[in-house]
Amino acid sequence: MNNKFDALKDDDSGDHDQDQGSPKDSEKEKNEDEDKEPNASKKKMVVPGAGEHPLQYNYTFWYSRRTPGRPASTQSYEQNIKQIGSFASVEQFWRFYSHMIRPGDLTGHSDFHLFKEGIKPMWEDDANKMGGKWIIRLRKGLASRCWENLILAMLGEQFMVGEEICGAVVSVRFQEDIISIWNKTASDQATTARIRDTLRRVLNLPPNTIMEYKTHTDSIKAWEDFHENLREGVCIRDVLGDDESREGYLCVDWHCMI
Amino acid sequence: MSTDCQKTTAKAIPSTRRVTVNDAEHMPHDYSTTPGGTLFSTTPGGTRIIYDRKFLLECRSSPVAKTPPRGLPKIPGVTSPPSKDASEKAHNGELLNNNNTASESNNTGDDAQFEMDI
Repeated sequence: MNNKFDALKDDDSGDHDQDQGSPKDSEKEKNEDEDKEPNASKKKMVVPGAGEHPLQYNYTFWYSRRTPGRPASTQSYEQNIKQIGSFASVEQFWRFYSHMIRPGDLTGHSDFHLFKEGIKPMWEDDANKMGGKWIIRLRKGLASRCWENLILAMLGEQFMVGEEICGAVVSVRFQEDIISIWNKTASDQATTARIRDTLRRVLNLPPNTIMEYKTHTDSIKAWEDFHENLREGVCIRDVLGDDESREGYLCVDWHCMI
Repeated sequence: MSTDCQKTTAKAIPSTRRVTVNDAEHMPHDYSTTPGGTLFSTTPGGTRIIYDRKFLLECRSSPVAKTPPRGLPKIPGVTSPPSKDASEKAHNGELLNNNNTASESNNTGDDAQFEMDI
């Protein structure tokens, strides 16, 4: 993954207690895995610290933002999503979350993504390409609380759908905000129904809130078609919808995105 | 908490010890409980680590959970890197997620006033 923030991970190799007050073993990272994956850009495993509460899965926070005013950019979407960090325990999660701005206070066209470690917040990732997402549109003012409830439910394994959950996204847009949860198998209706029911239970949404399920294959198809048939005056927002953080990134040759 | 934390392999959703969850109706109606138990719930063939919202929020107040993570990238307007603690907090305190000690005291006025069940 060509991400300039990968360089930050090197800071941790072999260091001991840079943070005062943190237990020695928290965020202890194993380096022996590096040899097994020479082409991975120095990914180190995060493990729960001693005495911390482990999560069922490790997760990674990502952030993306579309620069306002920039016309259709030839920069690839993948280059513009940045990793914030990964965690393996409840306590490590709070350490990140407490040092991140709340979604309601983000500016511009921005997204936070929280995905299981190893799954990129992109349709094309193996875990996502046959999957889809529930999206919920929220009027301004609700995103921070709903995002928190959503990710606490996800981290706490409240969805009860085995391995199906891939991650969650909160998208800050001009006049509304959008939260979404991604799962692996769009065609598995029992799973998508259970996810929808859990969302209703844990999010305390305003009455009459609409939930919509979108499959990624539809989005991929729309994206490919758009690039293969560029037409003057047609904005990709018309094709994808504003819930896609990719909206605004355009490549003449879509292959260059991967 | 001596359960081993191995990951379960993908399999059909099994029944819990006491409650069959084939139907969404059987899920508990208040968020703070999960079928079969609150902290750790056992499913046949393995142990899945389940935490309810209340428990996760309680973990937040532990000192281990408060120090800034290593390697937190500096993204202005997004992250608050670990520098001068007091001044940083004073400036960003309202905007960060770390300003609530009690559960629901972090409303800076922009959140709707829903009843929150814990």
